[in-house]
Amino acid sequence: MSNDLNMKVNVLPVLTYNFLHVNDSTLQISDFNISDNKSPLAKELPAGVTVRQAVPFAEAGELFKANNDRILATIDGHVEPNGDTSKRDDSQALRTGMGADVDGLMISMGATVDIYTVDEGVKADKPIVISYDMKDGDASLSGQIIHAKKDSEVTVVIVYTSDKDAKGFQGVSTRLFAEDGARINLIKSQLLGDGFVHFDDIGGACLNDGKIDLVTVELGGCKVFSSAYVNLAEKNTEFTSNMGYLVRGDHNLDINYVADQRGKKTQALMQFKGVLMDTASKTFRGTLDFKKGSSGSVGDEQEDTLLLGEDVVNKTMPVILCQEEDVEGRHGATIGELGEDILFYMQTRGIDEEEAKRIMIKARLDSVARLIPDPEIMQKTLYYIQNIV
Amino acid sequence: MAETNNKQVVADIDRSLYDFKDVESEKDFYRMAEGLTEETVLKVSEEKNDPEWMRDFRLECLKLYNDIKVPDWGPSIEGLDMDKISSYVRHKSDMKGKWEDVPEDIKNTFERLGIPQAERESLAGVGAQYDSELVYHNVKDEVAAQGVIYTDLESALRGEYADMIKSHFMKLVPPTDHKFAALHGAVWSGGSFVYVPKGVKVDIPLQSYFRLNAAGAGQFEHTLIIVDEGADLHFIEGCSAPKYNVANLHAGCVELYVAKNARLRYSTIENWSKNMYNLNTKRAIVEENGIMEWVSGSFGSHTSYLYPMTILKGDNSKMEFTGITFAGKGQNLDTGAKVVHQGKHTSSVINTKSISKDGGVGTYRSSVIIQKSAKRAKASVSCDSLMLDSISRADTIPGMDIRTNDADVGHEAKIGRISDEAIFYLMSRGISEEDAKAMIVSGFANPVSKELPLEYAVEMNNLIKLEMSGNG
Repeated sequence: MSNDLNMKVNVLPVLTYNFLHVNDSTLQISDFNISDNKSPLAKELPAGVTVRQAVPFAEAGELFKANNDRILATIDGHVEPNGDTSKRDDSQALRTGMGADVDGLMISMGATVDIYTVDEGVKADKPIVISYDMKDGDASLSGQIIHAKKDSEVTVVIVYTSDKDAKGFQGVSTRLFAEDGARINLIKSQLLGDGFVHFDDIGGACLNDGKIDLVTVELGGCKVFSSAYVNLAEKNTEFTSNMGYLVRGDHNLDINYVADQRGKKTQALMQFKGVLMDTASKTFRGTLDFKKGSSGSVGDEQEDTLLLGEDVVNKTMPVILCQEEDVEGRHGATIGELGEDILFYMQTRGIDEEEAKRIMIKARLDSVARLIPDPEIMQKTLYYIQNIV
Repeated sequence: MAETNNKQVVADIDRSLYDFKDVESEKDFYRMAEGLTEETVLKVSEEKNDPEWMRDFRLECLKLYNDIKVPDWGPSIEGLDMDKISSYVRHKSDMKGKWEDVPEDIKNTFERLGIPQAERESLAGVGAQYDSELVYHNVKDEVAAQGVIYTDLESALRGEYADMIKSHFMKLVPPTDHKFAALHGAVWSGGSFVYVPKGVKVDIPLQSYFRLNAAGAGQFEHTLIIVDEGADLHFIEGCSAPKYNVANLHAGCVELYVAKNARLRYSTIENWSKNMYNLNTKRAIVEENGIMEWVSGSFGSHTSYLYPMTILKGDNSKMEFTGITFAGKGQNLDTGAKVVHQGKHTSSVINTKSISKDGGVGTYRSSVIIQKSAKRAKASVSCDSLMLDSISRADTIPGMDIRTNDADVGHEAKIGRISDEAIFYLMSRGISEEDAKAMIVSGFANPVSKELPLEYAVEMNNLIKLEMSGNG
């Protein structure tokens, strides 16, 4: 099925100066003939986990609509921030990082998703591993929903691979629903070839005491959208995120992460570590949104970007929105080349500048890759890092 | 109700220092009809006795104003109806160079604001604008003797500095910049021109004070300052207005040129009334080794769009921005700073504080752009917000665009409230809760107040007390 859609995605929760060109991005898929709308099945399911395959995207959204009164409970006295864009994605059953245009694409292209359900109280004894092995010329849209019922716990590892020189398009929708006391650990390792346009549009919601833990490694692809919107809807919910990325050549990475802190005593911790090389470009949008009623909540986002190419372009938009007095929000960013003191230290130990850079890039990415719980995928990721560095 | 149980309750205090109104009689004042048309723009031009190029420029700006859209990212300005705003109001008497010659009613206003006293005690020169025109301008003899020019812009436009004005006027802030820069270009009136010659250091500050007294009027003053090579100046801007039930508009424009090795400090305490739409544009360009320092306090206005911008053009040029914004009841203050690094080894430091209270919306918005040419540039941004209740908003929306790999950029932001422990500590030493909170907020604002001359720091602290009382 071909199409000529140009979609507005990764819209910043609040608009800012247009000259910065960070308010949104465009996803162009007109060059691709999307023919595959199915997700690969997990190799082996842990006990207590079931899967419903190939559920039409719209139908799969019913799960979230049924819980809408808890996920998106009305906030009395809410005052909109200046430049608010939230209404734009009101149609989404569950808000995602890239926004409603991706839902529209999934529905219009007949994409389906697999729904993994973790039974109440089940602590999955091994991860669910989903491997997307893409071939040159592939163009696909697919997705998965991870539904962790009350007091359950599950780890999901998704790996995206292809040959190094392969070209294609891969769009994925990943939605996470952690019920009361449930915990979802999602680990994503993206190791696609240099010619792939890739997106993974993540949306998540946590009910009382629920937790979502996200680890993302973005290493491949020529145009990558990496996005997550996690709704900490009720009290004591948590979202932690660790991302490591490397962008090289003339590739582009476009990030939009939002922690929507609605419940009391929620916690959102987001860390982004990455490297830009050659003529690569990256836009980072990270938002902590303390809604009215989120008293006792804490949010922290940190970005650390190493610039190693003379022609790199780095855009950073760390946003904090707040309508609650009793919260603590922080963000910090350090952007630049390798510090002179580190270089000096390395050189005093006989390591030249190029080697020092390699060590620092590797250390940065390895620290995130080592969070991958599946040994095979972790090794595959470390090997990929080793090769490109 | 529970939410307000442990909140401070402070008795109202008197705001009459700023809110007093002097009734403008038709006999003494000329007021242009409301609305913005080619006819009104030509009328302003005629009133100002503009040179031809300026009249044409105004008409071009009007076209731009009609074409450019309102920004989609800032606070709403739906309450601002240009058909109900008079672009030009002036007293029928001319500008005076002696205080005693200023008309009695206007003199009373500025006397109550303490301007002549400040001039006597701590300023090198004063310009006082009342509605659309300067009513008083004076510079101390010893400063004038150094060759410092401090005059109203209209006089400069027709005098020996006419060419200098023409080559600088709205070149740094072109009317294409945004809708209200275009509006300014169309109906600008009043404001000051300052030229500090090469190597001259003005030891004590110059000040312009802007008072918009008329209801339903706009003030569009233009400030143009050129600090030549190796020169040094501190310029202070103050603004206030009485409160009316109709919208007033301030769309001023400030253009600052800082030459090689020069330094300019531009301090503002803005306390417009809370029916004011403050859509002001300020911009500086800094040459090699030049230094631009901004100190900015935003306390008044119903709605503000204010982001002083600095272009660090020359190598080794520097910028420092220190700002505070206090958004109280009914206010939506969208403020911050912008900087563009062009030269090598340029550096910028932005340090802001924001306080939100009683339903006020305070937004810190900034952009730091480091161009490819800005090798070894350094930028540091720090923005702290203090929430004093849960009906207010405090948002930080900083943007960075970095295009050289050897830049060094650091950014940090914090948002939070006054800690219970700090209040408890102060209360255990016999300080009331309300005083404890006011002390903590003043301490929070200290990095800004310490950058101001003593008398202005006192004014700022008084404004904080006023806002903390809920009567700001």
